[in-house]
Parts: sequence; C-alpha cells; structure tokens
Amino acid sequence: MNAPFYIAAVVAFLSTFMVVTRRNAVHALLYLVVSLLSVALVFFLLGAPFVAALEVIIYAGAIMVLFVFVIMMLNIGRQTAEQEREWLNPEIWLGPAVLTLVLAGELIYVLSRMHGRAYALSVVSPKQVGIALLGPYVLGVELASMLLLAGLVGAFHLGRREGTGGERRP
Amino acid sequence: MKILTEMPDVTALMPEIVMTCLALVLLMLDLFIRRKEITALLAIVIAAVVGFFLTGSSGTAFSGMFISDGYSSFFKLIFLVSLVLSVLISIRYIKIESVNFGEYYSLMLFSTLGMMLMASAGDIIVLYLGLELMALSLYVLAGFLRHDTKSNEASLKYFLLGAFASAFLLYGTSMIYGLTGTTNLKAIAHYLAANGVAHNPAVMLSVILFVVAFGFKIAAAPFHMWAPDVYEGAPTSVTAFMSVGPKAAGFAVFGRVFLTAFGGLQVDWAGILIPLAILTMAVGNILAISQTNIKRMLAYSSIAHAGYALIGLIAGGGNGVASMMNYLFIYAFMNIGAFGVVIMLRTEGFKGEEITDYEGLAKSHPLAAALMLVFMFSLTGIPPTAGFVGKFYLFMAAVAEGYTWLALVAVIFSAISAYFYLRIVMYMYMKEPKAEVALSTSAPHGIALAVATCAVLLIGVLPSGIIELARAAVAGF
Repeated sequence: MNAPFYIAAVVAFLSTFMVVTRRNAVHALLYLVVSLLSVALVFFLLGAPFVAALEVIIYAGAIMVLFVFVIMMLNIGRQTAEQEREWLNPEIWLGPAVLTLVLAGELIYVLSRMHGRAYALSVVSPKQVGIALLGPYVLGVELASMLLLAGLVGAFHLGRREGTGGERRP
Repeated sequence: MKILTEMPDVTALMPEIVMTCLALVLLMLDLFIRRKEITALLAIVIAAVVGFFLTGSSGTAFSGMFISDGYSSFFKLIFLVSLVLSVLISIRYIKIESVNFGEYYSLMLFSTLGMMLMASAGDIIVLYLGLELMALSLYVLAGFLRHDTKSNEASLKYFLLGAFASAFLLYGTSMIYGLTGTTNLKAIAHYLAANGVAHNPAVMLSVILFVVAFGFKIAAAPFHMWAPDVYEGAPTSVTAFMSVGPKAAGFAVFGRVFLTAFGGLQVDWAGILIPLAILTMAVGNILAISQTNIKRMLAYSSIAHAGYALIGLIAGGGNGVASMMNYLFIYAFMNIGAFGVVIMLRTEGFKGEEITDYEGLAKSHPLAAALMLVFMFSLTGIPPTAGFVGKFYLFMAAVAEGYTWLALVAVIFSAISAYFYLRIVMYMYMKEPKAEVALSTSAPHGIALAVATCAVLLIGVLPSGIIELARAAVAGF
C-alpha cells in the first residue's frame, strides 16, 4: 500500500535531479514546479492536506511564477523571441509534462480510493495548524515577522535611489 | 495544545521584547532624524536599556522554547558590548564611505536581536529563526556600500554560502526530528538517552550536519572560505561587528545544542571537533602570514581565534565552557579595537587597508600606533594583555580535561601567529614613514578605542572578575 508514496517520492527525486542538471534556467524551473507538486502530494499522503495546499499555492504557485517572470524579464533583447520559440519545443516540456501526468493520475487515484488518510493515523486540519502556530509556536511566528521586516529594510536600502533620504552624498 | 487565551509569562524574554520594540521605534524615528549621529546615539541608548533588563530575566518561556539563564545572559552581554563598540566606530566611518543612512543602525539592532534569540534558543526552530534574522541583516550590512563592487561581491558570497549553511542546519534538524519527533533540545537529549538510539548512524550524521552549519557561522576551517573575501569587501565597521557578535552567537548555539541535545555524545562530537579545531588554527595562522591587506589578515586571524575557542568547547564541562565564553568576551574588545585603528586610517580618498600603510605610524601618530600595539599584543596573547588571560584559561581547561597535546598544538600555533601580528608592530615602529598618512578621528571613535584598550589592559592585569562572572554564568547551565 506504500506505492503512492514511493511513486511521488521517485517523481520528486527525478525532477529535483533535473532541476540541478538543466543548463537553461527556465527548464530547471519547470522541473522545480513538478518537484514542489510531488512534495505537496507526499504531504497529502502523510495526512497534512493543509500544508499540501499551502505548498501548491505558495511555492508551486506564487513563488514559481515570480521566478519565471524575473528570469524572463532579465532576458529582454533580440534573442528573446528566438528563445521563446525554442521553449515551445516538445523536447523541453515533455519531461515535466510526463512527470506531472504521473502525479495527476496518482492524485486522482488517492482522492477516489484513499480519502486522504493513507498512512497517517490522524489528518492534521487547518484548525490544528492554526492552534499550534498561535499556541506553543507563537514565538516562532513573531520571529518570522521580524525576519521579514529585516528583509524589507534591507531591500529598501539596496533598492534606494541615489541621493534620496538620509544625507546626500558629498 | 491550546490557544493562548491569556498573556503567557514573558518575563524571561523581557530583554528581547524591549529590544524589538525600541528597534522598531528607532526605525520609525529615523524618518524624522536628519543628523544620523542621533540615530547612532539612540541605538547605544537602546543597547544600554536592554542591558539593564538583562539582569532581571531568567527562566523559560513558551514551554521551553526560550531559555534565559546565566549562559545566555553572558553571551547577550558580549553581543551588546560588540554592538555598542561597533556603533561607536561606525559613526564617522559610514560618513566617509558616504552611506550615512539610518537603516544601518536598525539592521545592526535586528542582527543583535537575532543573536540574542540564538543564545536563548531552547528549540531548534527558534534557533534557526534567530540565526536567519542575524544572518539576513548581516548580508545587507556586508553589501551596504552599494556603489562599491567589492562590497556587493562580499554580500552576494556571504548570502549564497550562508543559505547553503542554513540548508545543512535544516537537513540536520529534519533528521533529528524524524528520529526523536521533537525539536526541543532537552526533549531530544531525553529521547536519545531513554531509547538508546544515541549511536544510530543517523544521529551521527545529523551531528555532522550541525557541525557544518555552526562551523560556517564561526568561520572554522574547512568552512571558512567565505571569511577573507567577506571581511575584506564589507565596510570595515561591519567587519568589526560581524567578526565578534555572530561568531560568539555561533559558539553560543554550538554549546547549547551540543551540550544539551547531544550531551550524551560528547566523546563522539569531540572526536569531530578536535581535527576541526587543529585545522582551523593551522589554516588561520598559516595563511595569515602571506596576507598584504590588513582586513584579510584579520579575517584569517579571526578564523584562527575560532580554533582556539573551539578548544574550550572540546574540553567541555563547566571550566571548558567558561573559558570559551571568557575568551569570546575578551576577543570582542581586542578585535573591535584592532578594527577601530584600521578604520582610523580610512580617510576620504585613502583606503589605508594595506599593511605597508602602517610603515612608520609610530612616528606620525604615536597614540594610534600604541593602541594598535596593545591590540596586536593581545591578539598574539602576550601578557599583561587580556589575550594572554583568555588563552591561558582555555589551555588550562584543555590540560585539566586531559587534552594536554591539544593545548600544546594551540601554543605552537600561537607562536606562529606572533609572526604576523608583530610584523604590524615592526612596520609601525621600525620603519620610516613612506607617505604622510592622515587619521580620521572623532569623539565616539576615541571613546570606543579607550574602552577597548582599558578593557584589554584591565582584564589582563585583573582577570579574576570576568573569570568569576563566566564561571557563575555556566553554573546554571
């Protein structure tokens, strides 16, 4: 009965391996999306549907889209059109697509047969996650917000226009 | 597990709460402060207020996630001292480098807050978040000179390698969580002892991963590669700050994790740390000899000092840990002092980072040369400076625990280190000045150097006070 877990784990391993070995950043990112999706499926199988959903929404969704946008924007130039034509080549998307299809088939199977409680004794609900975060782990939540603030202040400094704010350069 | 329906007991984290609130207030106030010297002054006041709250806090909070004891308070004292000294030597310097922005001080406060949480972490999650808060602020501070490519390079290198080191920490954490089902340090120790899995290869693997992650933070060889480039490229005041505070924070978590969670495995991890310490001393001291840039030389010297301090951890027990803490306290004064003199040579249009710039400094600026002499003697470990006291207690602790040969190796490397420290002294006192070197002095800078010099000499002559403080701090560990 461990087959779904192992299939998802193998897909995660294969796609992560491809992320590291691809030379083209966009190809690597396509595999990274697959890798994150397979990890989300593993979370789901282990009885953490909420974390699985977050993984898909935040990592595979928002963060990956940002990555892809930034990389595509950095390549502004004459070769861009040529490059984009190249990206539509089946060789490039076939690998990620096959791996994603494996995951999709597995997800359908798991949802229809196993009702999301494959291995876990109990399923961790969003409510329990919330209680844990605002109960014993509240210090970690506060610290994470300080961490984000420090990152924001740093980004503000690095993105500051010359001669604005503070004292002007002599 | 229940929701916090009422305010939990937070007396143990009062220093951190005060620090957070005041740092946020400073960040806001900075918008209205034109003269950034005032921001710097307020940052020092904040450090003083936090230091005041430090005395009253002890106990645990958030079900053992946060521990405030003598051990953490002693380390927090080191962080606050290094923060104040670094701010004092920054005021004039960042003006010369034309990056006189208020967020510089805010980031320093955030970084110190991260270190304080690291020293008090009773849970690997808090430890990791504190470490990231410290490191993230430092990445930005290292690249604070945006118009300087070397500073940018330093920041990027530090960031990439730091992220890599974090990955090791998380990998080790996930492995230990998989084995024991907890991230609480005390609970890990309890589980390992009760279930007899202490010699499981996975435990050893996670110990090794922790050694890599913390070894990176303290710049121990072979995880030291980032240090020379980052120390050279970062603004000198930031280099001074990051060679002391974060290193001490790295040692704080080293001690906390290895003595608490892996306390039963001391024989095993000491076996990993001994070759690491010897390699660190060798790499630091031998490569420092060939450096021509004083910031790079001090970077290798700081690697070597991490090797000495590791000996205290290897010796373990109350004495070993107390001698390590004592050494880090002394190191804060002597290293920031040395960087303080280096900063004075930086004037508009003159970098003053080459060792040859120190030729004949005693003739043109006798006081600056005398201060550098004191700090170089202290870093070498020559009496009557504090550096001697620090090394003496470290090596005594090693001998008492049966590591006489390790102490001997360390003494030999200290002798090698005399070559490059005293070379600076030789350049200052025995060579003729080649070119006129101006100094950039200011009152805060003078105060910082005076404090550092007094501390180095006073601890050197009357070491008992600080030794007793460190021993008392360890007693409650």
